[in-house]
Amino acid sequence: MNHRLIVSPLLCIGCRTCELACSFAHAVNGKPARSRIDVKDGGKKDLYVPVVCLHCEDPACAKSCLVNAITRNPETGSMDLDQDKCVKCMACVSACPFGCSLFDSQHDLVVKCDLCQGDPACAKFCPTKALVYRPIQVALRSAG
Amino acid sequence: MVTLTINGKVVRAEEGEMLLAVIKRQGIDIPALCQHDAVEPYGACRLCMVEITKESWNGWKNHVTSCLYPVEQDLIVNTHSETVQELRRTILDLMLARNPETPLIQQLAADHGVTRTTYEPVPEPNDCILCGICTRICDTMGFHAISSVNRGHGKEIAPPLHQPPPDCVGCLACALNCPTNFIKFTDNGRERVIWDKKFDLIICEKTGQPGITREFADYLIEHRDIPAEYFKVNDESHRKELAATMGAISQWGQEKES
Repeated sequence: MNHRLIVSPLLCIGCRTCELACSFAHAVNGKPARSRIDVKDGGKKDLYVPVVCLHCEDPACAKSCLVNAITRNPETGSMDLDQDKCVKCMACVSACPFGCSLFDSQHDLVVKCDLCQGDPACAKFCPTKALVYRPIQVALRSAG
Repeated sequence: MVTLTINGKVVRAEEGEMLLAVIKRQGIDIPALCQHDAVEPYGACRLCMVEITKESWNGWKNHVTSCLYPVEQDLIVNTHSETVQELRRTILDLMLARNPETPLIQQLAADHGVTRTTYEPVPEPNDCILCGICTRICDTMGFHAISSVNRGHGKEIAPPLHQPPPDCVGCLACALNCPTNFIKFTDNGRERVIWDKKFDLIICEKTGQPGITREFADYLIEHRDIPAEYFKVNDESHRKELAATMGAISQWGQEKES
């Protein structure tokens, strides 16, 4: 079941609830983690863009990982990072052209979006449906 | 799938899986210092030793390093039997003689009831426990910059001929994954020094923040087909660029209406 997050900047009000939801959903030992989603300025007043991993077809993060810690999850279709395998060389953080592999300095971990194993917290908490989780066919159709 | 018994509990495991992974999945805490998921098991520290037997073995038992022992059907595993505990204490006793000042070893030994070594400590101790995680990660990543040299009490981890290693790209994977933080490096945000080799860091063209080393980026560009322009700016600037592009695209229909 391949689903994707559909990001609609026009609906985003910049409340950053998705960042909070992400931090708590990926908390380490009860401490909030670095958010995998980052709400950025869209280049115009009151325009916000939640930037989140695109789970590319030909991902630079997985290609740059020399220990194969980033692999595609066959169930969700997302590119998942295996924390136990990661050697923290920062190759993926530098190689991702969208900056969606991040370093969590508080927990000393490299982190990236894993679509919450098929149940993304950001989409559940988005009050305006700027982030929705839909099957990939629906996602492609809405993109035109 | 195979079925085995661990500490009296029947568990299932994938064929070919190592015992240690199955034991850890059961939430049983046994020490393992040379284990890292990125590299092949090695069996250097010997602390993950467990007792195994089978119904058909007529009471015979064996002690094996669980990180190197693949699961078997009907295996009966005991992770904390008296003999296993005694073995672990002996190993920690020896480790304490080699690394008497290493906090990780001191703590682990104390947890097992060994507070001081019964052997003669080495005259000039250091923090290296010779687990080989650094060299194995370096080999797995494909650099082969460092290796273990000499044998016996003279064994150590070093670059070839104790010179700055030509194959090192300064990724710091060896130092950051060292369980005892023995491998030292310096990083001032512009320049990084490890194994006496000096590296320049890539500076983001927009924010001025440091990234990975120039040598590491060149390796990824050449061997992993990553376009060179991906390394020009850091992750923060990449996200800003993506947001600006997506923001502009979202305005297309809007401009027509107004």
